[in-house]
Amino acid sequence: MTANQQIAANQYPAVQNTMPIPQQHHPPSSPRPAADAYSPNTPGGGTSNRVVRAKTPNSPSKNNSAGIIVASRAADEETEDGRIRNREASAKIRDAWIYKQIRSRQDEFTQYKQGRVFVGTWNVNAKGKEESLSSWLCADWHQHGPPDIVVVGFQEIVDLNAVNVAVENKSATRSQFWVEKIRSTLNSRQNTLGDPTRTYTELAVKFLVGLLVCVFVKAPHKPRVKYVHSDSVGVGVMGMMGNKGGVTIRLQFYDSTLCFICAHLAAHRENVAGRNADFANVYTKISFEIGHEAVQEVIKLGSMSQWAMGTSSVGVPDHDLVFWFGDLNYRVDESIPTERVMELSKAGMLEELIEHDQLNIERAAGRVFRDFEEGPLGFKPTYKYQPGTDLYEERPDKKLRAPAWCDRILWLAQEPGHVAQLNYTRSELNVSDHKPVMSTFLVTIKDVILAKREGVYRDVMKMLDTYENNSLPLVSLDRINLDFGEVRYDQRVTLPIVITNTGQVVAQFRLVPKIDEVELCKSWITVAPTYGMLIPGEQTEIEMTITIDNATAHRLNTSQEVLDDVIILRLENGRDYYISVTGKYARSCFGMSVDELVLYTDPIREVPLDPILRAKKYDLNSKAAMCVPKELWRIIDAIYERGLDERDLFTTTGDPDEVYQIRECLDTGASFEKFSVHSFAEVLTSFLSNLSSPIIPITLVPTLDIDAQNIQMFTRKFLEDMLPVPYNVFIYIISFFREVLLHEQMNRLSPPKVARFADGVTDASFIFAIFLTILCAFKSFRILCNCLILSQTGNVDDSVRAGSSSRGNMQQLMLHFLQTNSI
Amino acid sequence: MVIEEKTEEKNNNNDRCDDHDIKKVSPLLFLPLTNIVVIQPSKLPLRILLLFTMSNRVCHFKLVLLGDTAVGKSCLVVRFVRDEFFEFQEPTIGAAFLTQTVALDDATVKFEIWDTAGQERYRSLAPMYYRGAAAAIIVYDITNPDSFAGAKSWVKELQRRGDTNVVIALAGNKADLESRRKVDFQEANAYAEENGILHMETSAKNSNNVRALFVEIAKSLPKATQQPEREAFPIVMQKEETRNCC
Repeated sequence: MTANQQIAANQYPAVQNTMPIPQQHHPPSSPRPAADAYSPNTPGGGTSNRVVRAKTPNSPSKNNSAGIIVASRAADEETEDGRIRNREASAKIRDAWIYKQIRSRQDEFTQYKQGRVFVGTWNVNAKGKEESLSSWLCADWHQHGPPDIVVVGFQEIVDLNAVNVAVENKSATRSQFWVEKIRSTLNSRQNTLGDPTRTYTELAVKFLVGLLVCVFVKAPHKPRVKYVHSDSVGVGVMGMMGNKGGVTIRLQFYDSTLCFICAHLAAHRENVAGRNADFANVYTKISFEIGHEAVQEVIKLGSMSQWAMGTSSVGVPDHDLVFWFGDLNYRVDESIPTERVMELSKAGMLEELIEHDQLNIERAAGRVFRDFEEGPLGFKPTYKYQPGTDLYEERPDKKLRAPAWCDRILWLAQEPGHVAQLNYTRSELNVSDHKPVMSTFLVTIKDVILAKREGVYRDVMKMLDTYENNSLPLVSLDRINLDFGEVRYDQRVTLPIVITNTGQVVAQFRLVPKIDEVELCKSWITVAPTYGMLIPGEQTEIEMTITIDNATAHRLNTSQEVLDDVIILRLENGRDYYISVTGKYARSCFGMSVDELVLYTDPIREVPLDPILRAKKYDLNSKAAMCVPKELWRIIDAIYERGLDERDLFTTTGDPDEVYQIRECLDTGASFEKFSVHSFAEVLTSFLSNLSSPIIPITLVPTLDIDAQNIQMFTRKFLEDMLPVPYNVFIYIISFFREVLLHEQMNRLSPPKVARFADGVTDASFIFAIFLTILCAFKSFRILCNCLILSQTGNVDDSVRAGSSSRGNMQQLMLHFLQTNSI
Repeated sequence: MVIEEKTEEKNNNNDRCDDHDIKKVSPLLFLPLTNIVVIQPSKLPLRILLLFTMSNRVCHFKLVLLGDTAVGKSCLVVRFVRDEFFEFQEPTIGAAFLTQTVALDDATVKFEIWDTAGQERYRSLAPMYYRGAAAAIIVYDITNPDSFAGAKSWVKELQRRGDTNVVIALAGNKADLESRRKVDFQEANAYAEENGILHMETSAKNSNNVRALFVEIAKSLPKATQQPEREAFPIVMQKEETRNCC
């Protein structure tokens, strides 16, 4: 006994360490609460949030998944882009990582409790009647108190003869006998003192021929026992019969998983390999079908590293604590003669025998029970005794056998230090040829605080999400609001945006149209480029250009359009950015209609674009404030002033800068500077050709051939049909050109020149100008159509045809107006 | 003293195990015992472990945040995803995309979150994001009655134009500003009930109810029907028969 206490003393201080989570609502069942055992190897608290990059515990991982052949039920699939992926496998691998993380942090969410487990094993040699078991089962109760779990294993509860091996009737009876015996011993009046909380409840019984294992638990713990399952494996005759093999029970106790295996391995001193093989066979074949729910729970609690099993069954290594006991049949090595073994055994000189114990040798060589632990043998060999005595079998009629430690108890703990052996000894019960062996263990039981576990899980997921979110593409735009300020008619303004890839991955960007739209942006914006790719840190520029063409100016003037748009820049696989493009249209008389222009006495820039504001300022119902637009008057007046004698008037190009400034003066009401007459002439033609509605509508274009007879009729009809304002403007312009033609000698213009409507006339000649003036025409008929009629109301094809056939007619008509005083 | 008799459950258990034994007697196991190579237990188990979707299923769901400007949509997301809070969160100009996982008892829900721009100017772009969304959080500011009116109109719009099965949650944010409350909890709650949508008051600032909101949504989502992953490539339309142009 002193030896046993020494063992306990040796193991105990080693495990006396920190207890991060104080024991709370479940008072320790151990009477020695100060001895809060658990391993110094256990990762301590306070290092939360760290990523475990390698397996931390320095103990060998008992259920290392390295050996697991990972197979996925779903086959790999090839994506369109030729990549091969297996979503299921990938999800599994991810899960595995998550569980590993959680497991490595289990101290943060686990309350560790101390409990005591009693394990006893006895080869009863088919004996057993009325003798009391308390000297075996309750031997240390006076010292440690009643254990929380009692596990008892038997071998040879029946004779291992052929009948018993084949038919288990007798086994059932005998196992019932032994279970009852254990129950009555544990729950004897002397032990329970009538207190129901001190009684033991049977959890499970499993037998196989001569093998029996049963588990009892103290009644108060019963509600915290779950998923109790048993299994048996025969590895005897033919490799499957139950004369040899194992019976096993597994359960979840609080949140620790426990597995108890009672085994009877191959006999005979020389048959070490047979025993080793039996062990391996039993170990491998044991499997508990515990159901998905149980597996799920075990995984969640961080108890199982075989996350990936994918089946609802678990094996021996899937448990936190494994106890393996029974008649393992290992003997003392044959290098010591039988007689000497007998001598030493009887004398209690165990050291030499221990050294030559086959199990010790095989374990040291790693050939069996790898990773299992066993306490030092502090008791005499337990086999073979003369039944009914405490003497080794030495009777002359019997074969002389070397005494051996056939009966052993080993354990395996996932977490080092979660098991501390308090004692490891034998009982002196003598009905069998074996002595019973027993051991009490102080075990660390996990009690998971679910809320805390959730917290850890959340942390782990958050960390993953962070990586995922960080791997999204990210760019920065130097600006997202592009304000172009005042934008003028016929002006091009470009503003750049600098895009920088500030993320950690390659970013692909492209502009996308808004919902239900086709174009990326409004027609007055042009963007280049509309897509691109940037490696991290790379920069590029996108140029946004605003151009106010005639059509846009018209829509802006009529409030059908505002200079405001949102452009969506999308990152592939990432977020969207909105780029605002705004500008203020600086109003211009260009692109307006004469009907509207005559309404305003103020410079057009001062006329609000907003129709409501405009209505407040001007009486829009009055016919007109002026006969002709003041802008037209100002241009013509300026040309007059500068002289109609200018050579090549209307055939010389103006200075672009001056043209721009003249336009500004017209729009703002500022007075003209010393601009050249040619610039004015160009402004005049441009003004007329860009009117939003033509002075002469398409309906007035003569469709019949004009000759000397009917020209009078046509001209009369032409003038009669004109609306008042265009009429005024028309008369005004025709009069002006008549005036111009009076200076024919100097400016070298002639009526035919003015009125010749040749298609494709080159250079911005006077003829072209007049053509535009009178007809609102142009170089090509397409423009003619646009000028003559409002494209949105007219049919372009019709007007082209009309224009084409009546070109000559119009020419004659205009010539007539110019040459005669018919107006 | 026998305290507890065997429960039925246990008996069944044993029965089942016995059945198990019988099944094990298969001819494959009739192997000769001798000359068995010693197998190292640590190399075990050798069985092929099948993988299938047994552990936490991860369901992907698109979630969109909608609501008027400055009600705290981005703050809610930032609180939820990064557990941070910025008093002066920049207005979202665009649509931010983030993912975040919520673990439930029976499943893991991964939200693909689109945080939209609340400014009126961008309102017409919202359908781009709520189309196809499995869930929507419509946020209002409890100190701003207009934002609650705005939230109602968002609910209407979503009911009219969103997916039919979209899970809508109404979130009254800035619940920490109780003294400046202008939107009555009961009123909002009654409105939510009337419309059969979730309702919760949240505070991105003190993180109250933020996580709970997403968890509630996750619980409400049908886990059985996993959303298809977003198409990485646009589906190629079938070529229409070329029409004669004349």
